[in-house]
Amino acid sequence: MLRNSTTAWGGPARFLHWAVAALVLVQVALGLTAAGWRLSPAKLDLFVWHKSLGFMILLLVVIRLIWRLANPTPALPAGLSFFERLGARVSHGFFYVLLIMLPINGWVINSAANVPFSIFWLVPLPAIVAPSPTLAGTAENAHFVLFSLLLLLLVVHAGAALRHHFVKRDEVLSRMLFGSQGK
Amino acid sequence: MICRLFAVAPGLALLLAAVVPLASAADWRMEAAGSRLEFTVLFEKTAAPGVFREFDTRLRFDPEKPADSRLEVNIRVASADMMSADINNAIRAAEWFDFARFPQAEFRATDIRRSEANRYVARGMLTLKGVQQAVEVPFVWTTVPAPAGAKGAFASMEGELNLRRGVFGIGSGEWAATNVIGAEVRVKFRVRLRSDG
Repeated sequence: MLRNSTTAWGGPARFLHWAVAALVLVQVALGLTAAGWRLSPAKLDLFVWHKSLGFMILLLVVIRLIWRLANPTPALPAGLSFFERLGARVSHGFFYVLLIMLPINGWVINSAANVPFSIFWLVPLPAIVAPSPTLAGTAENAHFVLFSLLLLLLVVHAGAALRHHFVKRDEVLSRMLFGSQGK
Repeated sequence: MICRLFAVAPGLALLLAAVVPLASAADWRMEAAGSRLEFTVLFEKTAAPGVFREFDTRLRFDPEKPADSRLEVNIRVASADMMSADINNAIRAAEWFDFARFPQAEFRATDIRRSEANRYVARGMLTLKGVQQAVEVPFVWTTVPAPAGAKGAFASMEGELNLRRGVFGIGSGEWAATNVIGAEVRVKFRVRLRSDG
């Protein structure tokens, strides 16, 4: 089943969810490693990977949003409280916002620092802001704040998914897994 | 009378031959405004542009008789600007230009030959980061109309050449590898010159 229904996620929606999840985990490891590495050719390579993956994530999230808008969204299980529903809506909204903002903020850092960069060493990236060491510093701080928020959200998201599965025993987690059959 | 003139003529010709090349090999000074010395290197397969903000050129040159030429270029290496604060901070280090020990570079040539109509090649010595290397610098010579109200002759020298940074030890140690920072450096120059006679 490709398209979502009001009760199940289609294959593309599940694939996009897990692809972004996997890339985000690799991206966090890459970003922390690159930032901590001493200045060396390896550091520059790590940053090319980090920036390239950032663009892949941005692209996938945009596709996800378009796919989500073009499809029905499976309903939350019945019996959730108002605050549980609100929490689900708000945290998912924040996820999309952060997953769009982090790569764009990274693009701002790269442009302001005026470091030459081609996505995967192939596609030269145009600058979106003028070179400015001050702006680069501010945007780097913002990158760390956004990253921290994302990390917090990841913990909430995974915790909530496990709670749905093991405590509330509903289908919220299993319908996002690949083994499950959409209904 | 005619006989005497013929007798003098060879001596006069000799005198002219000795004097004329010196007289027409003008001394040229660089006009900093309108002169540029740029370089480009690949940074992670992406062009990274740079420029030496301060350099000076002195030239004794007659485009019709380039044999008696002399070219001197002095470059303040520490004026290198690669348009990025991060990169500028890195290139001053000992592994790269080593501003502290080698703030200056120079090119000296006394061998300038014409290759085509207005194209010449200056063969000389480039001293950069303490390394002397024979370098051929091709250039196009163009006479330029004098700006309104200005006296003297104006000309421009423009050219491009490739240098290998490794020869000069620019990017040493782990930076000697050329997959992250390229081996070839494209150097481009446009020099505005003025001569007062």
